[in-house]
Amino acid sequence: MFFHKKLTHTITLHPSFLGPRMREFVTKRLYKDVEGTCTGRYGYIIAVVAILEIQIGKIIPGLGSAEFEVKYSAILFKPFRNEVLDAVVDSVSKIGFLANAGPLRIFVSQTLIPADMKLDMNSNPPSFHSDDQKIEKGTLVRVKVNGARVDATNIIAIGTIKEDYLGVIE
Amino acid sequence: MRMSKNKLVRPQAEETLDAARLELGADFQDAECLLISEVKVLLEAQYDSKKEDKSMDEVYSKTLEYVQKFSRYTNRDTIKEVRALLKPTELEPFECAQLGNLCCSEYEEAKSLVPSIGNKIRDDDLDSLLKQMDSLKKYQG
Repeated sequence: MFFHKKLTHTITLHPSFLGPRMREFVTKRLYKDVEGTCTGRYGYIIAVVAILEIQIGKIIPGLGSAEFEVKYSAILFKPFRNEVLDAVVDSVSKIGFLANAGPLRIFVSQTLIPADMKLDMNSNPPSFHSDDQKIEKGTLVRVKVNGARVDATNIIAIGTIKEDYLGVIE
Repeated sequence: MRMSKNKLVRPQAEETLDAARLELGADFQDAECLLISEVKVLLEAQYDSKKEDKSMDEVYSKTLEYVQKFSRYTNRDTIKEVRALLKPTELEPFECAQLGNLCCSEYEEAKSLVPSIGNKIRDDDLDSLLKQMDSLKKYQG
């Protein structure tokens, strides 16, 4: 799910930046620091929408650098367990298929694909197919998230299509 | 022994979150949810300035591609009307956004995909809501 949320971030500026264009430096640094990052708590920070407030900086004793607390609002993307979302199939392998929903990668294991969809590694590209449906690279699928694992720069989700109303989108 | 005890008393908070029961955690419980089409409008507005600064990262470009593919409503007026349809209902922001994004064709499908809706809304009302959203989508400019 995409969210719009207010967040804060602290930016440290070297004394050489403490001049007339200081606000601009703080803003630029914020965009660079937070956009495209991913944390377990907030998910992906896709883009900063607005900068709400840059508080008065505090000089760090002994260093000369200044710290600014910036309040901003951003578009976040975070998957939740049992959330249903649409994704694009990226690759099909023997053990299941991988799909992308924006920056998020979702793996759907073969055991969570309906039994009537058979794996065909000899087709080009490899696919899962039943009599009337086919999952191959580029297919749009509706997936339910079973769980997610967060590492330093990514979230990887496990999904299922073995339920009513899930699977290939027509 | 002590190690295993520690593990027991410290369950990972992440694992208790569940969209089906609408438990999104303290950070997201009251957050504003966006429709895919709204994200598309916001991201496309930034596209030119990002291109100029060459500050387009992978997350941004992948998301833009995704929202362009799955955006259901093509113009701002339609998005506004969909929001106006969803607003008077008793549904939580998360459920509203899910309904707007998934575009279900009947109430059974909507309830199966967004189980937290449960009995918050009458089946007939949900059905007419979905029908109205569908016709908005069909007749948008």
